[in-house]
Amino acid sequence: MPVADTSRYDRRTFLGRSASGAAAVALAGVAAPALLGACSSGSSTSTASGATPGVGTGTPRKGGTLTVGLNSEIDGFLPTTNHFDNSGLVYANTVYDSLTAIGADGTAQPYLAQSVTPNADMTVWTVTLRPGVVFHDGSPLTAAVVVANAKALQASPLTGPALSPIASVTATGPLTVQYTTTEPLVAFPYYLATQVGYVVAMAQLNAADASQHPIGTGPFVFGSWVPNDHFTATRNPHYWRSGRPYLDSITYKPIVQDQSRESTLRSGTIDLMVTRDPNAIAHLGSNPGFQQVTDANRQHGQNDVGFIYLNTQVDPLSDLTVRQALAYATDTAQIARLFGAGVLKPISSPYPEGSPYRAPDNGYPVYDLAKARSLVAQAAPRHGGAVKVELATIPDPRLLDVLQALQSMWGQAGVQATVNQIEQVTFISNLALGNFQAYTGDQFDAADPDENYVWWSPTNAAAPGSIALNFARNKDPQMEAALQKGRTNADPTVRAQAYQTVDMLLAQDLPYLWLTTTVWSMTGSQKVQNFDNPTLPSGQPAQGMEAGTFIPTEIWLEA
Amino acid sequence: MPDGVTADVVAPTELLGADAGSESVIVAARATTAPGEAPRRTLGPLFWISLGWMSLLVLLAVLAPVLPIKSPTYQDYTAVNIGPSVHHLLGTDDLGRDLLSRIIWGSRVSLTIGFASVALGLLVGGSLGLLAGLRGGFGDTVLNAGSFVLLAFPPLLAILVIEAFWGRSLWKLTVMFAFIAAPQLFRVVRATTLSFADREFVTAARTMGARTGRILRREILPNVLPAAVSFALLGVAIAIIVEGSLAFLGLSIQLPVASLGNIVNAGVQNDNLQLNPYIALWPALYIFLLLTSLNLMADRLRGRYDVREIKL
Amino acid sequence: MGRYIAKRLIQLVAITFILSIGVFMLVHLLPGDPTLAILGPNDTPTARHELLAQLGLNKSLPQQYWTWLTNVFSGNLGKSFLTGQTVANAVAVALPIDLELILFSQVMAIVVAVPLALLAARRPNRVLDRLATTTSFGMLSIPTFVVAVLLVLVFAVQFHAFPATGYVRFSTDPVQNVRSVILPSVALAFGSIAIYYRLLRADLIATMQEDYITMARSKGLSATYVLTRHALRPSSFTLLAGAGISIGSLFTGAFVVEVLFQLPGIGYQLVNAIFARDYLMVQGMALVAAVFYLVINFGVDFLLTVLDPRVRRA
Repeated sequence: MPVADTSRYDRRTFLGRSASGAAAVALAGVAAPALLGACSSGSSTSTASGATPGVGTGTPRKGGTLTVGLNSEIDGFLPTTNHFDNSGLVYANTVYDSLTAIGADGTAQPYLAQSVTPNADMTVWTVTLRPGVVFHDGSPLTAAVVVANAKALQASPLTGPALSPIASVTATGPLTVQYTTTEPLVAFPYYLATQVGYVVAMAQLNAADASQHPIGTGPFVFGSWVPNDHFTATRNPHYWRSGRPYLDSITYKPIVQDQSRESTLRSGTIDLMVTRDPNAIAHLGSNPGFQQVTDANRQHGQNDVGFIYLNTQVDPLSDLTVRQALAYATDTAQIARLFGAGVLKPISSPYPEGSPYRAPDNGYPVYDLAKARSLVAQAAPRHGGAVKVELATIPDPRLLDVLQALQSMWGQAGVQATVNQIEQVTFISNLALGNFQAYTGDQFDAADPDENYVWWSPTNAAAPGSIALNFARNKDPQMEAALQKGRTNADPTVRAQAYQTVDMLLAQDLPYLWLTTTVWSMTGSQKVQNFDNPTLPSGQPAQGMEAGTFIPTEIWLEA
Repeated sequence: MPDGVTADVVAPTELLGADAGSESVIVAARATTAPGEAPRRTLGPLFWISLGWMSLLVLLAVLAPVLPIKSPTYQDYTAVNIGPSVHHLLGTDDLGRDLLSRIIWGSRVSLTIGFASVALGLLVGGSLGLLAGLRGGFGDTVLNAGSFVLLAFPPLLAILVIEAFWGRSLWKLTVMFAFIAAPQLFRVVRATTLSFADREFVTAARTMGARTGRILRREILPNVLPAAVSFALLGVAIAIIVEGSLAFLGLSIQLPVASLGNIVNAGVQNDNLQLNPYIALWPALYIFLLLTSLNLMADRLRGRYDVREIKL
Repeated sequence: MGRYIAKRLIQLVAITFILSIGVFMLVHLLPGDPTLAILGPNDTPTARHELLAQLGLNKSLPQQYWTWLTNVFSGNLGKSFLTGQTVANAVAVALPIDLELILFSQVMAIVVAVPLALLAARRPNRVLDRLATTTSFGMLSIPTFVVAVLLVLVFAVQFHAFPATGYVRFSTDPVQNVRSVILPSVALAFGSIAIYYRLLRADLIATMQEDYITMARSKGLSATYVLTRHALRPSSFTLLAGAGISIGSLFTGAFVVEVLFQLPGIGYQLVNAIFARDYLMVQGMALVAAVFYLVINFGVDFLLTVLDPRVRRA
């Protein structure tokens, strides 16, 4: 029974960021692939009128209160001290603005900032702010405020490490901020679209209860927050994006149990909800009373995927033969069938179909029980006669079922696996410290492949006992080379090649046992309009809902 | 107990000062014969039927390894969520495991936890309660207060800590449950003992020179034991249900080992209630039948041993 | 009377004090500390040290306990390490929820159990009695979380009669408040109905055997009349005793219902706090729950001493 749901660690949650090389993803821009209408995140299902779900038609109607069900509760709203999981980012998008935002073409575009321009070698970035923007307390948005924010972020143990390439931040004018970096940081604009890109008012930074009273420039003004109960915010009458937001107020209710959240939507108490429970997605997808969008067919970047971390520095998983045996013994198609409710698909790569970074045939082991058995027989003598693996997950009923299936499948190959449930806090700690053998994972959502550098780089693979963000601790020098090549090369072909190499290396080294896709959905009743059609200030479409995060600015309610 | 309502009401004498309500409750709970009837001298056919049914359940649980039933953990992916059929008398669950087998194996766990924990609790808590009730004094005050501390303590915290260090095998769970049941049984037995310790027949025995040990054996125990045992029987049923709540919280015996609670919980999660309600139905039915027969037995025992006189 | 109350008060304080030490020790025994929940995998040794110092957790355990205790006496229960919410505030949010749940569920249980018990006591071991016993045991043997899920599927999703989750405060909207506690209260009541029914029924039957009842009957009064007017009142003390116990323990026992219905009551917040190693929240919530448990028990005890003529003072 999960009482808190933060089982994913992505770039935004833990800010393991570093530079990304391609001009294709920098603000400087290179031809981006064709856009697909207003919705950049794809597969949508039933609507009553035949219109695209989540995309409103006609004139936006002002007014009304929207109640949204979120999948987790946050511990506070201060970017320097609180974890922004997907729910945290939703709150942030409600009361704050980030300096940049991701466009529908997958590139980082100016949002609260008017422009973000680098110098020639990408070591000095100049951020120009929009004039005339005020915070909810009336104070103006100035360079000094942004600098104060940046310094606070650098000083915080939570966000500091992610900002280590930033050498200095100074205000060079009333509305210009200059960031100097220690190395060419081509993906800098992407940073500003994440947790470290939100700007909060000075009054909040200096307040004693800073994490409980957000004061931002965002579309809604903070009203009240009762942890585990509700969060309300009302329309910002002085919002710098004129005419928006359309809603009078918005209320978020964290409802941690997936089933309960689905029931609440279906019983009408909430109008919109976010979920990644495949059962709920399956039910509501075919329900004509609701509009649903999912990020299953995301056009750019990669989604979270479900997999098993294999600790490559701990016996018996340090033995490659054992890891191969486990991969051959895992029938991912069956797993998807049993637990995917028809929504999840089996995978053999972290990159989605159609991604330029996916190797055409990465060599990942395909289910073959006979092969698995022979490999286990080979390996067993090296491990005292029997291969024993400890599987564990957080208390999530679906994951528990998945582990039981894995235990059985691996058992068929001769592996003795045990299943265990570990509470969340200890689970994360064990992952970080390497005190585990095989844990469930749900990660690697990224707008640009370089964002996963920190999770895959051998430089982050400290031995068990020390904190390492490369949880599986895979130390492959070829991996580092490929990751660096992708990070430092602007040429898209070279990049694609580099990450295809990464894909193949992952399939070879097997630090992760790929299982299925993870699909997030956003589902609303028919009266909720335009919840998946955000735009950039320039008028261009922005990226829609992905990984359970959305921007509430342009939602309106039918009468 | 996480499902505290049921567990605590079974032992209704947890009131400090004992015993204020205990007298009325003990009296009430003891007598179940109709007005105007003398206490029955036989246990009645229903008792024996219940006992027989219980024995059958216990026998099935004990003999599970040698019974001609399927494996409780074998996952047959071609037979997922099948309803009752020829090959699977009670159907299969969402992992293709035979439900009949899982229930029988699950009953091993649940019955063990139920009976053994209550027996242990009765042994420890009950004997302490007997002593405390009879001797009184400082020891009684300390034990009394101690039982209150244990009862008011948030049980989940204790369980979490114990499981963090100790794990959750069957025997460890049994001990944890015993630990939770003991203070409640302590209070029941203590209250019952107190209500008898001052009675005329005990005073009579004392004046006739009987020593404490003899009083305990001849006067107190025969009167206390039936009440205690009948509460304990109900406590068994409660323990089994509470194990279900623990399973919901993921704190019961580790899957894929089956317990009735685990199975019910699985039956409610992952959309199984709509896809395959049998998963939740069979264990609930089992618990219901178990509960009813336990209660019947407890009833008859009370009716038969409605003793109010002395034994010399 | 005064001595009795004083004695009870001393016992309450003593027990609460011992309990608070127990809770403190146990929660600190759990592996890990709040820095895990706050920093996640960024929990490097340096960051951890800094944070622990910030939170005052680098002092010795007895020192920490003493600080907490003295703060409690001056009315300060502390704050959550995680959200910054004051424990007092969290308790203020949680208490009305639990109080309402308990009130509604126990009233429902009694309203169902009493008439059933009366009817059954008229003709023990006959059809109605057996039926009532069977049904009430049926309700008891279905775990609470199953009942809760079924209730939601039927009454919330299917019929939109009640909300599936969430609590609306009475001060915000009385009608919605009642609607929001009905389903969880019914789920909780299920377990209590059987117990109350059995307790009351047994007590009624026993009472009916008393001499004064026989005398009343011999005067020609009908069984029903005798049952309701003469037997019910003394027998209801059993009910009171039973209710006292279950009410007290519901504060932490309603956790399952609180999770399913997303009600941030004491049980829910306590368990969340335990998982996050939010020490002050755990200690504060456990303290409040324990005090209520003891107060209710003592209160019922006191009532019984006063009302039940058959009871001797210990």
